[in-house]
Amino acid sequence: MTQSNAQMRTGYAAKRKAADVVIYIVLSVMVVIWIAPIVWLILQSFRGEPGITTSYLFPKKLTFDNYIRLFTDDQFPYGKWLLNTLIVAVCSCVISTLFILMVSYALSRLRFKSRKTFLNLGLVLGMFPGFMSMAAVYNIMDIFGLKQNLFALVIVYSAGAGLGYQISKGFFDTIPRSLDEAAKIDGATRNQIFWIIILPLSKPIVVYTALTTFIGPWADYIFVSYFMKANADNYTVALGLYEMLGNQTITRYFTTFCAGSVLIAIPITILFIVMQRFYVAGVTGGAVKG
Amino acid sequence: MNYLDYVQMTRGQKIAYNIKSFFTGIPGAFAKLFKMIGIVLKAIFSFIGNGFKNYGKTFTSGDAGTKLSYLIMGAGSMMHKQLGKGLIFLAIQAAYFYYMFSTGWTYISKIYSMNVEVEKGMFVDGAIGAIPPQYEIDPMFGTQKIVNLDTLDDSNRVLLYFAMTVMLTIAFFALYITNIKSAYKSQQIIAEGKTPINGIEELKMFLDERFHVTLLALPILLLIVFTILPIVFTIFMAFTNYDKQHQPPGNIYWWVGFNNFADVFYSNPEKNQTFGKILVWTFVWAVFATFTNYIFGIILALLINKKTIRFKAFWRTMFVITAAVPQFVTLLCMRMILGDSGTGAINNLLGTNYPFLSDVTWARCTVIIVNMWVGIPYTMLISSGLLMNIPEDLYESARIDGANAVQQFTKITFPYIFFVTTPYLISSFVGNINNFNVIYFLTGGGPSPTSYYKSGQTDLLVTWLYKLTKVNSDFNLSAVLGIIIFVICATGSLITFNMSKASKNEEEFS
Amino acid sequence: MASKSKRAVALVLTAMMAAGAFAGCGPTETGSSGGGTTTTPSNGGGSVASTTDVSTVDMYSEEMIQTVKDAIATEAETAGGTINLTMWCSGDDRDFEKSLAKEFTELYADSRYTIKVKQQTVGEDQSGGKINESPKDGADVFSFADDQLSTMVETKALAPVGQVFYNNVIANNSADSVAVVLSGDKPYAFPKTSDNGYFMYYDKRVYTDPSMVENMDEMIATANKAGKSVYLNLTNGWYNTSFFFSAGCEISYKDGKQIAHYATPEGLVAAKAMCHLASMVDSGFMAQPGSAGDNAAVVQGFQEGKLAAAVIGTWCGPDLKNIVGADNLGAAKLPTVLMNDQQVQLDSFGGYKLVGVNAFTKFPITAQALAYYLTNPDSQLKRYNTRGLIPTANAALATDVVKNDPALQAIQAQLPFAHPQGSSVGGVYWASNIGGFGSTIVTEKGKIDDSELEKQLAELEGQMK
Repeated sequence: MTQSNAQMRTGYAAKRKAADVVIYIVLSVMVVIWIAPIVWLILQSFRGEPGITTSYLFPKKLTFDNYIRLFTDDQFPYGKWLLNTLIVAVCSCVISTLFILMVSYALSRLRFKSRKTFLNLGLVLGMFPGFMSMAAVYNIMDIFGLKQNLFALVIVYSAGAGLGYQISKGFFDTIPRSLDEAAKIDGATRNQIFWIIILPLSKPIVVYTALTTFIGPWADYIFVSYFMKANADNYTVALGLYEMLGNQTITRYFTTFCAGSVLIAIPITILFIVMQRFYVAGVTGGAVKG
Repeated sequence: MNYLDYVQMTRGQKIAYNIKSFFTGIPGAFAKLFKMIGIVLKAIFSFIGNGFKNYGKTFTSGDAGTKLSYLIMGAGSMMHKQLGKGLIFLAIQAAYFYYMFSTGWTYISKIYSMNVEVEKGMFVDGAIGAIPPQYEIDPMFGTQKIVNLDTLDDSNRVLLYFAMTVMLTIAFFALYITNIKSAYKSQQIIAEGKTPINGIEELKMFLDERFHVTLLALPILLLIVFTILPIVFTIFMAFTNYDKQHQPPGNIYWWVGFNNFADVFYSNPEKNQTFGKILVWTFVWAVFATFTNYIFGIILALLINKKTIRFKAFWRTMFVITAAVPQFVTLLCMRMILGDSGTGAINNLLGTNYPFLSDVTWARCTVIIVNMWVGIPYTMLISSGLLMNIPEDLYESARIDGANAVQQFTKITFPYIFFVTTPYLISSFVGNINNFNVIYFLTGGGPSPTSYYKSGQTDLLVTWLYKLTKVNSDFNLSAVLGIIIFVICATGSLITFNMSKASKNEEEFS
Repeated sequence: MASKSKRAVALVLTAMMAAGAFAGCGPTETGSSGGGTTTTPSNGGGSVASTTDVSTVDMYSEEMIQTVKDAIATEAETAGGTINLTMWCSGDDRDFEKSLAKEFTELYADSRYTIKVKQQTVGEDQSGGKINESPKDGADVFSFADDQLSTMVETKALAPVGQVFYNNVIANNSADSVAVVLSGDKPYAFPKTSDNGYFMYYDKRVYTDPSMVENMDEMIATANKAGKSVYLNLTNGWYNTSFFFSAGCEISYKDGKQIAHYATPEGLVAAKAMCHLASMVDSGFMAQPGSAGDNAAVVQGFQEGKLAAAVIGTWCGPDLKNIVGADNLGAAKLPTVLMNDQQVQLDSFGGYKLVGVNAFTKFPITAQALAYYLTNPDSQLKRYNTRGLIPTANAALATDVVKNDPALQAIQAQLPFAHPQGSSVGGVYWASNIGGFGSTIVTEKGKIDDSELEKQLAELEGQMK
């Protein structure tokens, strides 16, 4: 440890050590509490016995059947849902990221007459609860012939993306303006500045934006549940898994639900853990470095 | 009040100060909200107003081309050697008029239809749509058929097209003014003896001087169609009787003025009592959910980030896992764990019957506690980032002054974190008011006693809104709730906005 | 061809007129099991006319099939020759219903059009809700539980049944099941199964003699001794309305008007009977399902060996048979409960599952023909044989295998105490917080004083207006 530590009296050091031990114990207990439900879920996903919950902790029979069933059952086409969600997530991730970067770049680094109005408008619009107008959006989709359609979901998740500019605008604000000025003197257009100079500097915020917009559709339940009605072929994983817990199916599909949940949680969790520093940087407005 | 004044206060004073500034912020925020809506409206109107002001001026001093633009869009541009631009304007005008004559006008004329037979023998003024469905009995089989399925007036469609037509008209009007301005401008350029820029050069401007237009056009277009239009539509809905009994296309719904608002606030005892109770619980929930997460999240971050604690990455990752797993998975998992005896894992395992989710008090505590389980890792993650940011020399000098660990915490760490995270705290308060997932997946709003209108004792305003829309088709009531939630959240956000401005001063300090 | 159609039309019209006279006579007495009506179960061939009543037409005679085909062809013209129908049924029934739909398209196959039936999974308990969410986006043909009929009629989502089909429905099915499809005097659905009511399943190893399942208090005591419980969901309006029926409350639904006089001395008696049972929660009685729902709670309860008896319906039958074994599973009518110090037989809702046609379908005749096909006596018998669901068709009910089904016998025994939902309760009843009323009693374990109960009953009655 540091030098000052070494110079301390041994009694103080012992006290500190004791404090550390207490912290270790507290942390361990907390980790157990935090991880236990997840472990329980994983255990249940391998359970061979039918039914909802059991009066014992460890399954008596371990099996992969629940996982196999996910891809063979035709009432709950999990594989199809997985594909749907992936398509929607990728499309809306690309569109939203592009939109957010475009809007935040324009509002951060370009100066034009109605800029202030746009900023205020964005703030006011952002305060409407997202699904307040879902019935209206559904009707609009109906007019466009897009109801109960995956494309409708992509639109719902990305059409409003322009409003999510605050965080990346904050980031763009921190890039020195002298860079733009220098490029402008060299004859670059604003279009070129955006692509050649600003975008390469914005890797963290691009990653953050892409990450959040990609994860969004995996976790959304509200819009899918309202938009897809009974069209199970176009469900996403979140809605499909929720439906498995319905009154009529839960007894037979509970362990399958667990397997489906575990399967979907693995990639998302890994993605999040790998990207967490970008996440923190995004939320705290770039306060954290590296 | 600056940061230095703030740190010199005692702890009690600080808390009192923060609470005070929170509540004194509310009226200000309300004023600010309306001011902001005002600013936006003013900007729109002054845009229109200026258009009118120049309207007359330009006409008197315009040449033949400019004057012709008042009637035929693009005429001026075409006569001023900007053929391409002129044609585009002309096409826009043609399209607009075509739309208005073919569809637009019909919907506008139907928005307040008189004397419509909405039910057999029941005539209503102010119906949205004029042609109700007509039924015909098949002479051979006696089956019933709606003969005008394609031509009947679907109130939703009428209302939507109405909103859309109004917005299109505004957009058209803006383009119309632009057309005149452009014609006048090119006229002036020609008068100066120069040639107006041609189409290609003008297009190039969209990559440079007008690059913002290029960037913003598509996002804003989609925003208008899929965010603003639905919001306008929803606000309209709040003034109609669009509910389960009046669903198009089988029915036509009509305007009812402020009846729905009256229902929620005073005239319908069942609805307004439910609203009152849910509103109170929403706030209680938001306060508890926010502060428990906040306090314990920071404590957890402090424990993990303590200098002498090893395997930091391991501890952090363990907690982050819960945050990373999609919420519907973790929360549905918790619902199964905490269910009643028979289906709940814990009750089943222990052979007990704790009503975790089925008794009011239990359920309310459970959702708060489970919310801690879900939310603490987030706070931990974010405040860890902030903790690393505290300038080390602050501690250095404190140590030299002989401050012990506790003093360091109360004098440096806590005030710093509290100050930096105040905006986060308030935005998560607003987030918790709208916390759909925890409530919906865990209790589904239950338990539901007799006195609650289509909702339960753990329902928040948002989950109530969702249920009203999805399960009960009370679209008008849910629109009213949406507007109320908007006002609440906007107030909260504006407080945040002001406070984050205040905290900017603080950054200069560190 | 033209002459054939004409002949069929004439036939139909006579049939309709005759039906008018027939309907005027009121519901005909249907032979209860073992009664006088001896009908031969039809075997294949498509001919299902079970009676020779003049008012019906044989829907599957060659002429009639041709007439229907012509009508379908006319409907198909507007849609370019292809008829797309969507059909909802529950997850368990999907394979079976799919096979019926296939038979249907084969029966009416014609060169002038193609019929495509797309199947989606929506349980009978949920389809009403999903239809009401947005009637025009619902399936063209769907199965639903009869308690949802009134709400769907209110939202105008259900198409009235065509007279020709209805004549056959009257002739083929039991009078009770036909009464259920009426709202006002118009029929709105096709009866499919008669097992949507509830009765009691019990474990014969606990209750070794049928005499042991006649009295609720004794049953609870017996179960408690065995370390088990009796299940009756007090927190669900569909079940707890039993108590109000038994106590003699006036409950009726007519012309969109709900009467449910609960703020009365009888209502209080019912509530106190519920309180009495709720006081035994945890000592031999289980009163609510938890978050997973009724079926799940019952199946799970038997699986864990925690339940000895449960008030539930046939939909749990197959699962329970697997768990306790076919020989150990008993079925009986509901027991008596203690009301005002007397043992009173518990009433129930007699329930049916119905098939409805969406009022907004583009192809009303095709859709009704499909709905009729799904519910004709032949299909009902097939449904019993493959899915074990109790039919409503007299011809199917009269077969030995159906007659001897223990669940059917329990339903029959409960029949005198069962109330049809369509004429008892409407949408406003289900929209009230009748379930929440039970929840409060269960949560308080029945320890609620009379004045509070009266207050809540008055609230409840207020919501049902």
